[in-house]
Amino acid sequence: MDITSIRNKAIDAVAASPDLQDLESVYKSFLGKNGELNKLLKTLGSLPSEERREAGQSLNALKKEIEVVYSERQHDLIDLDAERKLKNEKIDVTLPGISREQGTFHPITQTINSISDFFESLGFEVASGPEVETDYYNFEALNVPADHPAKDMHDTFYLGNGDLLRTHTSPVQIRTMEQKDPPLRIICPGRVYRKDSDLTHTPMFHQIEGLVLEEGASLAQLKGLLNDFLTDFFGQEMELRFRPSYFPFTEPSAEVDIRWKKGWLEILGCGMVHPNVLEMAGIDTKKYSGFAFGLGAERMAMLKHDIPDLRAFFENDHRFLKQF
Amino acid sequence: MKFSKNWLKEFVDTDLSTEELCDQLTMAGLEVDGYESFQSKITGKDAIIDLDITPNRGDCFSLLGVAREVAILNNLKLKLPKSQTISSTVDSPTNISVCSMGPKYVGRYITNVDLSLKTPDLIAERLETSDHRLIDPVVDITNYILLELGQPLHAFDHDKLVGDIKVRFAKEAEELTLLDETKISLNKDCLVIADKKGLLAFAGIMGGLDSSVTDSTKSIYLESAYFKPEAIRGKARRFGLQTDASMRFERGVDFNIQELAIERASELLNKSVGGLFGPLQVVAEKKSLPKQNKVSVNISSANKILGANLSKTKVKSYLTGLGLSPQVKKETVNTLIPSWRYDLSIEADLIEELARLEGYNKLPTESLRPLPKKKEVTNSHRVSAFLVSQGYSEVITYSFIDEQDANLGGVKKDHLVVSNPISQNMNVMRSSLWPGLVNTYASNLNNGEENQKLFEIGSIFKKDKAGSVKEILQVGGLISGKDTDLHWKNKPSPLNFYNLKGDLEGLMNHLTKEAIFERVASSFLHPGKSAKIKVGPKVIGEMGVIHPGVMNQKDLKGEVLVFTLDIDKLTQDKNIKYNNFSRYPASSRDLAFIVEDSELNSKIIKLIRSKAGKELVEINTFDVYHGDNVPEGKKSVAFNLKWQSLTKTLIDEDIDQLVERIVNFLSKEIKAELRS
Repeated sequence: MDITSIRNKAIDAVAASPDLQDLESVYKSFLGKNGELNKLLKTLGSLPSEERREAGQSLNALKKEIEVVYSERQHDLIDLDAERKLKNEKIDVTLPGISREQGTFHPITQTINSISDFFESLGFEVASGPEVETDYYNFEALNVPADHPAKDMHDTFYLGNGDLLRTHTSPVQIRTMEQKDPPLRIICPGRVYRKDSDLTHTPMFHQIEGLVLEEGASLAQLKGLLNDFLTDFFGQEMELRFRPSYFPFTEPSAEVDIRWKKGWLEILGCGMVHPNVLEMAGIDTKKYSGFAFGLGAERMAMLKHDIPDLRAFFENDHRFLKQF
Repeated sequence: MKFSKNWLKEFVDTDLSTEELCDQLTMAGLEVDGYESFQSKITGKDAIIDLDITPNRGDCFSLLGVAREVAILNNLKLKLPKSQTISSTVDSPTNISVCSMGPKYVGRYITNVDLSLKTPDLIAERLETSDHRLIDPVVDITNYILLELGQPLHAFDHDKLVGDIKVRFAKEAEELTLLDETKISLNKDCLVIADKKGLLAFAGIMGGLDSSVTDSTKSIYLESAYFKPEAIRGKARRFGLQTDASMRFERGVDFNIQELAIERASELLNKSVGGLFGPLQVVAEKKSLPKQNKVSVNISSANKILGANLSKTKVKSYLTGLGLSPQVKKETVNTLIPSWRYDLSIEADLIEELARLEGYNKLPTESLRPLPKKKEVTNSHRVSAFLVSQGYSEVITYSFIDEQDANLGGVKKDHLVVSNPISQNMNVMRSSLWPGLVNTYASNLNNGEENQKLFEIGSIFKKDKAGSVKEILQVGGLISGKDTDLHWKNKPSPLNFYNLKGDLEGLMNHLTKEAIFERVASSFLHPGKSAKIKVGPKVIGEMGVIHPGVMNQKDLKGEVLVFTLDIDKLTQDKNIKYNNFSRYPASSRDLAFIVEDSELNSKIIKLIRSKAGKELVEINTFDVYHGDNVPEGKKSVAFNLKWQSLTKTLIDEDIDQLVERIVNFLSKEIKAELRS
């Protein structure tokens, strides 16, 4: 057989192969060890060298050509095969997937994180401190001297050793001011304790307090900051009002109400840090002024998620927790 | 404090509606808790307003004080009650002496009073709407003056007094039976009213029973005194006796109002119970009376603090309205604080007054400029994020727990106890997170939740040897039930020790730490299925199956697993350094040994490693087997070992040599037999 007829035969056979198996045997019959091309190659030995070289080159070219058409046909056949199979490969995509059930963060943690995130984006640092405190850090350093009537605002738990459970996270502010120099921006979330238990009070709850201590800190900035914060937290522009109030550790002091449904709802307390507090913490009051604010995480979470009962936070019912 | 609006209008002629008035008071810092309309039998249409007075505003603890505030806010004139001086018709048989903490005492002897007469209707109605119980005309009138002027008065039955009246400190353990019939033993820092015979009253707090006015009283001695706040503060709380009088004295009573109060009371008594009046006896230790404070405010510092721009004229007019007689010198305003404003003693106090009168909401608002700062991710964040991703739900339980729970596991500890707990089953500060988790598990189990994975991050509290408190931040967790809910493909299997251990290994890996688990003795945990968790030589936690005894104590069944880790010991290595890795192919071998059942996996691995050469890169225990072909008391353990060199392709002969060394060593050390 000559090269041309082998070529035609091979190309026809490849094109006519109905499946991969057949294609493979076609390939072997031409390009295999005992294939047509090798057979032809063996006959070349008898030719004169000039012709032998030419014939060799033609054979090589043919080999390449067959490989190309073989490869093309192979891809076509794989596609055809896949298409055929695809028609039968069907699974029920509505069956549940295989996964590990996700846990949940407690809604209080989520609330604290969301609040901290806002303040951290403004350069506040998260600070923490002990829950068992001394009278000095919880009261005295905050301008609440022994026997002051303002102490009645906090029903305090005392421990056998004379210490107490902090009634607010303000001691963290004092501890921070003692350790670090201004300018300071801190946010202090944490557990606090007050001897109070009814529909709207639990003896333990979470507070988040913030402190800004820098040159030029003003009531105007405090108002702006809280306005921005509440807008961020509730995800919409909030109507706020600031009311004069009293906290021993701030002067001027204010309560902040938000417009809620038809009335006003008290939501946090704040004010300019009392000069006595700054002086006790060794801050230069000529140079620095400060403002502080504090709010309850439970209350914020209740408002945001429409949770009717405060006690749900500490019952940890799975049916409650998994909603958040 | 509850009061009638019509009563208020006797002092200030406001035509504001009740709603407007309440709103105005609230926005001026005197928060109105609520109000309701009221039909007075005497004065007609009225309203009862309930005011929540902050501790600094003792001056507003009276109708006069509130009226003064309304007058200032609306630029109205304050009408002080006109008191008619009653001329004396009898002499006083009693003399008074005062002391530095009770520096002023105004008294009056009144005899021939008729206590069978009725309290005037208007006074009775107003007391009742202010939540004051009616007692007798004399006491009712003293209460009326207390509400009206903020000056607590007291009436003694004069016939029960022996000798003169003295304001002094009690002797240590001096006893007094109070009006409410409780007997108290006083301390020497308690101010008292005494006569020759003994104590008559706990000054500024409560009168004594023996000298009290009764139905048969014929003569009274009326007291209108000034006691210093420092003398009263803390005493009422110490004896659990918060009274209307003590609340006013400890916040500060106007030290110029005693005469007006007693004159006004006399006038009302004269009209209701009659009698013959003695002269007004005013005894004061002048040097001990408070001085009027002089406070200055700098207008530009005030504006700086407020971020505002209040003009000099405005500042002056606000301070004038408050009765502070301001003197302006350039930027500085000097003031003289009136005798009723105890809360104004420094510049910041005056700045608050300026802000209050301007209106907090009228003051400017300005956004706080952000400062660049890198957000810090804490260990707590990392741990909780990992656990949540592994199916754990976070819980928050109380830091104070039941003593019985604190002693779970049978070990009685020296707990940190709350002296005044909210209830007896919340009196111990937890020294472990486990009781809270177990109780949460139990209550959810009660609701049918069988598969649970819980965790809590919080402080535990321990007393050290010196008695001081150590707070340790921990993460604790609990798992129980099946590893998955019913599923069409994956069959649920019970969670066991190795599920929990796997989660914790994953957690430690996430924190770039390698944990070692070793047996531990803990009274809370199953002795054979528990471990301490170590990083290097440091113990950082414990885990295991809850001890069956503990389960029994909590009426629980089955296997529940818990763990705890000290968060602060999980500090992540800040800087991760690159380790070179091999680009040559790995060779691996499987080796199975028969060993004593009691041999720990960690020990066998340690032995293997010691002979496997430095090119061993991985060793995995892939089978542990008891049963056919393994003698009783033994187990078969299979390991997959993987070697890889940084510099060449390893050849079989090298590996074979290592395997031989390992097999011989294990045979020698623990009599391990290689399974073929």
